[in-house]
Amino acid sequence: MALVYLNTLAHGRSGDKGDTSNVCVYARDPKDYPLLKRVLTAERVKEYFGDMVRGEVIRYEVETLHGFNFVMKHALGGGATHSLRLDSLGKSMGSAFMRMKIDTDDPSGT
Amino acid sequence: MKTIRIGGGQGFWGDSPDAAIHMVRAGDIQYLACDYLAELTLSIMQRQKLKNPKAGFASDFTQLIREIGKEAYEKKIRILSNAGGMNIQGAVDALRSIAEGQNMRGYKIGYVTGDDLLEKLPELLREGRTFPNMDDVGDFDEIKDKIVNVNVYYGREPLMDCLREGADLVITGRATDSALFLAPLAYEFGWGDKDLDDLARGIMVGHLLECGGQGAGGNFDYDWRSVPAMDNLGFPIAEVTEDDLHITKAPGCGGLISEQSVKEQFLYEVHDPANYITPDVTVDISRATIVNDGDNSVRIGGVRGKEKPEKLKMCIGYHAGYKVATYLPFAWPDAYEKARYAAEILMKKMKRKNLRYEDIRIDYLGLNALHLDVAEYDEELIKRLNEVVLRIAIRVKDKEEAKKLIPEISPLQLNGPPGASFFGGRSQIQDVIGLWPALIDRDLVTLTSHMLEVK
Repeated sequence: MALVYLNTLAHGRSGDKGDTSNVCVYARDPKDYPLLKRVLTAERVKEYFGDMVRGEVIRYEVETLHGFNFVMKHALGGGATHSLRLDSLGKSMGSAFMRMKIDTDDPSGT
Repeated sequence: MKTIRIGGGQGFWGDSPDAAIHMVRAGDIQYLACDYLAELTLSIMQRQKLKNPKAGFASDFTQLIREIGKEAYEKKIRILSNAGGMNIQGAVDALRSIAEGQNMRGYKIGYVTGDDLLEKLPELLREGRTFPNMDDVGDFDEIKDKIVNVNVYYGREPLMDCLREGADLVITGRATDSALFLAPLAYEFGWGDKDLDDLARGIMVGHLLECGGQGAGGNFDYDWRSVPAMDNLGFPIAEVTEDDLHITKAPGCGGLISEQSVKEQFLYEVHDPANYITPDVTVDISRATIVNDGDNSVRIGGVRGKEKPEKLKMCIGYHAGYKVATYLPFAWPDAYEKARYAAEILMKKMKRKNLRYEDIRIDYLGLNALHLDVAEYDEELIKRLNEVVLRIAIRVKDKEEAKKLIPEISPLQLNGPPGASFFGGRSQIQDVIGLWPALIDRDLVTLTSHMLEVK
């Protein structure tokens, strides 16, 4: 089993709209896109963030860019000024996402 | 073939002016567009205007024009910005005074009014219009007496009217960030409502440039070490022809335009890539392509457009209470354990004071204040922490509640666990402005373009 941080395989950026955080994620190498597609399911991402993301997680795929957009609702503690988080705009949601551990050998992604 | 080069001069209110100045001097651009409005900015501007009728716009912009306005005028570089915020007239007066002071005779300042619906709202409500929250949360009746600002996001058309009238500078309130970029392109290339793919391409120009440095190697996750001269970061420039789009940057500055740097901005704050909604056009980038096309040049393809939405989005800001964040650092050894104990002391004291809060957060800076529960809580790591800052933040309805927490922090240096070091002075209580996104019929909004010529 080869367990790696997601940031060894992918890169991305997070943004905010109200209480919704979006993280775009791209394969560093296009050959890893199928693996990322298997393992980075919306369910897995929702489970990973736990109490940090209280609403649904939607995954959009952009095959031509070997990337995804993850839209996570109720993910910023109320959003903008409502939020009591130090990072109220969720600028660090992207790096939080990138520390997810990925099993590069597991074809099922579980 | 006609080529338009347009630069993105500002990513937000408070951004560095250096790249915009460099673009005007060395970027060979015909247009410079500067975005100053984030989601929350109008509410902040409105509060400033209530305190001072001359405030309420992005004064950074007038400062920028003071520095490069005349040079841009002489080079025929036209400038567009939404820096007018909540006080267009105040911004126009300031700009006119700068232009007169620099003897810029004939300088034409175009401006747009009509996005501010605060005064019109009661009438709309009396007519029976409703404004349910687009995120399906909350009850409008609970916020209607606390509203601070009401602004509609609008598209390219009133800006194009100003350009047609010969404006050297166009200043707006809540025009969308992307309209600042689409307007000059649609004007130059004669794109109309039916040219959906072209309009969509123009929106993507705006989307890629509206965050300034983020489009050119700033905040670059792929490999930030490879970005040249971040101290002199250039901002992106779009090179647009009738049927093509390239992103590049000015010569003689730092930054990086690559497939990866453009990609990171491409889906940023876009939700569904097949339906990126703007007042001008619904953009489909679900099959878009991004390829390196030379030194610091990237070509964008496959951007498609669909019909624009029927309604416009508006943003209602309302007063939603107060918040305060307090900080107390602890030093090695056992910094985390000591900070936790201090938090317990504070919570016991607050319980005795009967603190009533809406929400509370207890964080440990250096451990989990950014990544929260996703952070690593390895016992060895926690034991080794050189220092950790205890942060307690509360959100309250009543200002008096917030006042209870603040004076309890500094005494813990002498009355709590060892190694505490108070810094930064007492915390300030902040107003909380809530944002209420809603939709409004287009025909209820009247946007008007104006022109002022400097004598």
